[in-house]
Amino acid sequence: MSNRIVIDPVTRIEGHLRIEAVIENGVVKDAFSAGTMVRGIEKILKGRDPRDAWAFTERVCGVCTTVHALASVRAVEDALGIQVPKNAELVRNLMFAAQYVQDHVVHFYHLHALDWVDVVSMLKANPVEAAKIAQSISPWRNNTAGHFAAVQNRVKKFVESGQLGIFANGYWGHKAYKLPPEVNLLAVSHYLDALEWQKDLVKIHAIFGGKNPHPNYLVGGVPCSFNLEEVNAINTERLNHVGSLIKQAIEFVEQVYVPDLLAVAGFYKDWAAIGGGLENYLAYGDLPTNGYGDPSKFMLPRGAILGRNLNEIHEVNGKNVEEIKEYISHSWYSYAGGDANGLHPWKGETEFNFTGPKPPYTQLNVEGKYSWLKTPRWKDHPMEVGPLSRMLVAYAKGVTDVKEVVGAVLKKLDVPITVLFSTLGRTAARGVETQVVAHWMKGIYDDLITNIKNNELRTHTRYRWDPATWPAEAQGVGMTEAPRGALAHWIKIKDQKIDNYQLVVPSTWNASPRDGKGQRSAYEASLIGTPVANPEQPVEILRTIHSFDPCIACAVH
Amino acid sequence: MDAIKAPSYRRIYVWELPVRAFHWINGICILLLGVTGYLIGRPFAVISEQEASFQYWFGTVRFLHFAAGYLFLINMLARIYWGFVGNRYANWKQFIPTRRKWFTEVADVLRVDVLQTRVQGKIHIGHNRLAGFIYFLSFWVYGFQALTGFALYAAMSPSWIGRAAAAVIPGTWNDMGVRQWHHAGLWFFVLFTIIHVYLVFYHDYVEGRGTTSSMVGGWKFEREDYFKS
Amino acid sequence: MAEPRSTIWETMQERGHSRRDFLQFCAYAATLAGIAPAAHGKVAEAFEKKARPPVIWLHFQECTCCSESFIRAEHPVVADVLMDAISLDYTETLQAASGHAAEKCKADTMKAYAGKYILLVEGSVPTEADGVYCCIGGRTALDILKEAAAGAAAVIAWGNCASYGCVQNAKPNPTGATPISKLIGKPVINVPGCPPIADVMVGVVTHILVFGRPPELDAQGRPKEFYGRRVHDTCYRRPTYDAGMFVETWDDDAARKGYCLYHMGCRGPVTYNACAVTKWNERTSYPIQSGHGCIGCSENQFWDNGPFYQHLPSFPGFGIESTADKIGLAAGAAAAVGVAAHAISTNIRKRGLIHEHVAESVTENKSE
Ligand code: HEM
Ligand code: HEM
Ligand code: NFV
Ligand code: SF4
Ligand code: SF4
Ligand code: F3S
Ligand SMILES: [Mg+2]
Repeated sequence: MSNRIVIDPVTRIEGHLRIEAVIENGVVKDAFSAGTMVRGIEKILKGRDPRDAWAFTERVCGVCTTVHALASVRAVEDALGIQVPKNAELVRNLMFAAQYVQDHVVHFYHLHALDWVDVVSMLKANPVEAAKIAQSISPWRNNTAGHFAAVQNRVKKFVESGQLGIFANGYWGHKAYKLPPEVNLLAVSHYLDALEWQKDLVKIHAIFGGKNPHPNYLVGGVPCSFNLEEVNAINTERLNHVGSLIKQAIEFVEQVYVPDLLAVAGFYKDWAAIGGGLENYLAYGDLPTNGYGDPSKFMLPRGAILGRNLNEIHEVNGKNVEEIKEYISHSWYSYAGGDANGLHPWKGETEFNFTGPKPPYTQLNVEGKYSWLKTPRWKDHPMEVGPLSRMLVAYAKGVTDVKEVVGAVLKKLDVPITVLFSTLGRTAARGVETQVVAHWMKGIYDDLITNIKNNELRTHTRYRWDPATWPAEAQGVGMTEAPRGALAHWIKIKDQKIDNYQLVVPSTWNASPRDGKGQRSAYEASLIGTPVANPEQPVEILRTIHSFDPCIACAVH
Repeated sequence: MDAIKAPSYRRIYVWELPVRAFHWINGICILLLGVTGYLIGRPFAVISEQEASFQYWFGTVRFLHFAAGYLFLINMLARIYWGFVGNRYANWKQFIPTRRKWFTEVADVLRVDVLQTRVQGKIHIGHNRLAGFIYFLSFWVYGFQALTGFALYAAMSPSWIGRAAAAVIPGTWNDMGVRQWHHAGLWFFVLFTIIHVYLVFYHDYVEGRGTTSSMVGGWKFEREDYFKS
Repeated sequence: MAEPRSTIWETMQERGHSRRDFLQFCAYAATLAGIAPAAHGKVAEAFEKKARPPVIWLHFQECTCCSESFIRAEHPVVADVLMDAISLDYTETLQAASGHAAEKCKADTMKAYAGKYILLVEGSVPTEADGVYCCIGGRTALDILKEAAAGAAAVIAWGNCASYGCVQNAKPNPTGATPISKLIGKPVINVPGCPPIADVMVGVVTHILVFGRPPELDAQGRPKEFYGRRVHDTCYRRPTYDAGMFVETWDDDAARKGYCLYHMGCRGPVTYNACAVTKWNERTSYPIQSGHGCIGCSENQFWDNGPFYQHLPSFPGFGIESTADKIGLAAGAAAAVGVAAHAISTNIRKRGLIHEHVAESVTENKSE
């Protein structure tokens, strides 16, 4: 098959992703998505102390750091019947929200933007004009002609050095780039601003969890303690720090990210008809306000949408062994009971079985097994997960803040809601979500302050910390919404040790190979019909793939 | 009634002063190292309203451990030296199996004293072969404990001994592994002491040669006929 | 375009370095690359002409948190590093080009700067099953690493993954994840941590650029500058350790006062890292400051030293929570029982002998 092009490595993502795409008459006819690295963390977890699992699973990914730790402590708490104190819930929610906002901003500027923004074209921009445009959409302090001129100069010198570094061999000048030079300049300037800012918000992780990436979590609560009479604990100064970081985050999102998103989107409305892919959306929901056990009180609701029917939201139950199953028809694993069956994660197995070509290889055998990702299905449906799914479920369930922001964005771009089912929609949904969640942080923070004011200081329940108090056998599931979508960990505990541990990760849902019935997962489905002007410079494929924000270390683990 | 003829005994100077001194310094060091070491591994928490700067008990415990550690090492080296210049009972040949016959004698001791399938066996004035061999093995543990102890000490002191010890330990062993095994070493000493002290009493009880007091005064008592045969 | 570009030599001059420093730097780079001293002049020329030292950043079995950490650097900030200090010619995480175009960036740099580029490696390399557990562009990680290392002037291993194998190397290490120092026949600067501290990462890179030689390394190949002290020796909770004031359960009174976390399993006493001094995220905090013990993330094999909430690891082969003490105590009890049984047996089996001794004993009567 000579017209099957290979993109490997797909860059500006996390992990090792390989896309093979069949191109006919300038559009993608079929596509295959493969994860080419595996570590076997599920195997490594066997036999270990369940209270340590958060640290192991957190190392699944340093980009969405913390979310696996959260899923893990929830899984253990669910299995052992532990409920965390209110403050622990609030601290976890703050860390969760900080992760969203930081991760989404980094994705937009540093992983996704170069699909839409031509760095070289900005050299032709008029900084005064650029400032005019920028000031018309946002009061951001760096939107001045002087600042833009300085950035332009810096990049000019950089380009003239002949050493283009990370910008080398980019698809500059490709006709798919449509932004005027001034908007390109604005975007590159904000690329640098975002690079500077992203390291601030995650200080919330450092304050409550000691560091970022990979802050510390704890089964039964959070490790930090509150004390307003002590310098060696979370005190007023620490809380103030969190407060001002939240304020800056809201400012950055409102003055930089969202205006840029809208400005760029305005030039690429054709991408609202490309890359829709699957018609099913799944969200586990998150941000509990009444404990993890009560999903009805989650700020981000749980539910599944089939066939883009927003009028019917299906219930989702991670413990129902008939709902979520993982298949390996096209994955390099084997199941003891035969490769055709799907397994619910409590019964999940991770046995390597590489059947691909011996490296070095040029093409994978896509008829057989071709990826290290398993293929998850909900009631046998392929599902898309991620910000778009979350916003659709929240919108359909009538979450006020989401409805408002989605409405405002659609109005601004002057498009109907159906445009969300697309590459552009996915990218826009991420911005909508960031805007909503950044504001929610303020509310969560206020709740935390109120609790402390009322002398409610507890951050850890000591209940069942000691393994001697555990039942001989227990099983649980920890569900969360990682930045890239629905994430859950399933644990089985036996004799105080991990008997089985399985992760089904957002990028596993989206990037997996097709199932035994030939149903494509989200990446493969969304690429069908994507135009590719020049197969040597497949920037269009990157646009759609990047709109999912791939994380393959997550997906395979 | 004819009384059984009472055998006459002769006094022998077995343990010279340096051996006795080594023995008791060693015993005290090990006791101190064991107790302070255990506390280092599992300190009890002080519940106190006092500022940390007013107390230093744990620092003191650690100091005693390190001070005893130095003494333990020097004492051990002194005993090794005495193994070359001391009397025949102190000589290194009492510890290191040199001939095959050694092991048949070890088997003898096992039969007589441990399994007790035989009632009486060969009398040794100094260590019996099994004891000598066990002390030989213990010296390796002493060495190991000193090596790991001083290697850990390297991180908290400029001591050249510490640095030298740390340099000997392979790079693939991190401090955690060294500490784990140093801690495990403690239990060798606990086991050794239980069995050793018991056996000293046992020998005294069964043989009546003054074994226990020999490590105090240096004297043992042996039947006259032992010297004739 | 006539504007002169800023070369390493110029940058070094600006920073107050002499021509001699510069030549020394070039000699260092050349020596690392195995170039004979006579040819050092050529390397000097190359650096004088070329603006920024080219850098290749490889990604293998990793979680990319080392890259994430790197972009959190404060002094210098990462934009300055990328635009002024180095030329990051290959990194899958950030570079614009994908696929063949990306591979070309790497190939071009390896060719044009053979023996002169700095190689940074994030992630371990799987060696089982012919390397199929990590392939990029259809080639194995090992293949890619060996090729890139061959022409590198200096090799830096980022994080616990590249330095020691990290989480995927934990038992049973299903993919044969291997630290890079074991795979290339060149000195490697290990910068462990999971991840390493951002400012330590840029510190190591800039050390080479600014001082023209690699930092002093310890026996495990870690820069002494950052890994010379235990967390415990620099921890601000140390006074409470020496005073024996410990947190005993989570969020107890002692925890709220910030006492020592030794009882909660803190690995600070066996972990060499700069956390307590340099701290994380622009000096915001570090694990212990936020109430969780150190888990030893910069140490070899730290994943197999669990459970993390126990002072010493479980004893190999004895299951979770099997401390040396539990095993020792059991053995001690067994010895005590054995000794007691032996004493009883002695009184039975050696009854005759003991009676004989008593009988032959000289009584006061007899001697009179
Ligand atoms: C009979 C000999 C010894 C015994 C039974 C012994 C026992 C112990 C024990 C049980 C620990 C606690 C380990 C833990 O749980 O973390 C310890 C720690 C330690 N020992 Fe020893 N030890 C002995 C000899 C030595 C010697 C000769 C030295 C040399 C200086 C030494 C230096 C240390 C050091 C430096 C520590 C760590 C202390 C700290 O981190 O504060 N030990 N020892
Ligand atoms: C009440 C306490 C103790 C008594 C009465 C005692 C008595 C003795 C006696 C009689 C010997 C000579 C044994 C023989 O003939 O083979 C001896 C040797 C020895 N004992 Fe002890 N002991 C005591 C405690 C300890 C302790 C606590 C240790 C160390 C843990 C220890 C270590 C040794 C060693 C290493 C030797 C060989 C000495 C040498 O040849 O230099 N002893 N002990
Ligand atoms: N997929 C994925 Fe993650 C996320 N978000 C995890 O659950 O990125 Ni690394
Ligand atoms: S060392 Fe840790 S942080 Fe760095 S890539 Fe490995 S797992 Fe991630
Ligand atoms: S908290 Fe940890 S590093 Fe700090 S003093 Fe205590 S044991 Fe040492
Ligand atoms: S866990 Fe790691 S981050 Fe520092 S305090 Fe310990 S070395
Ligand atoms: Mg899985």
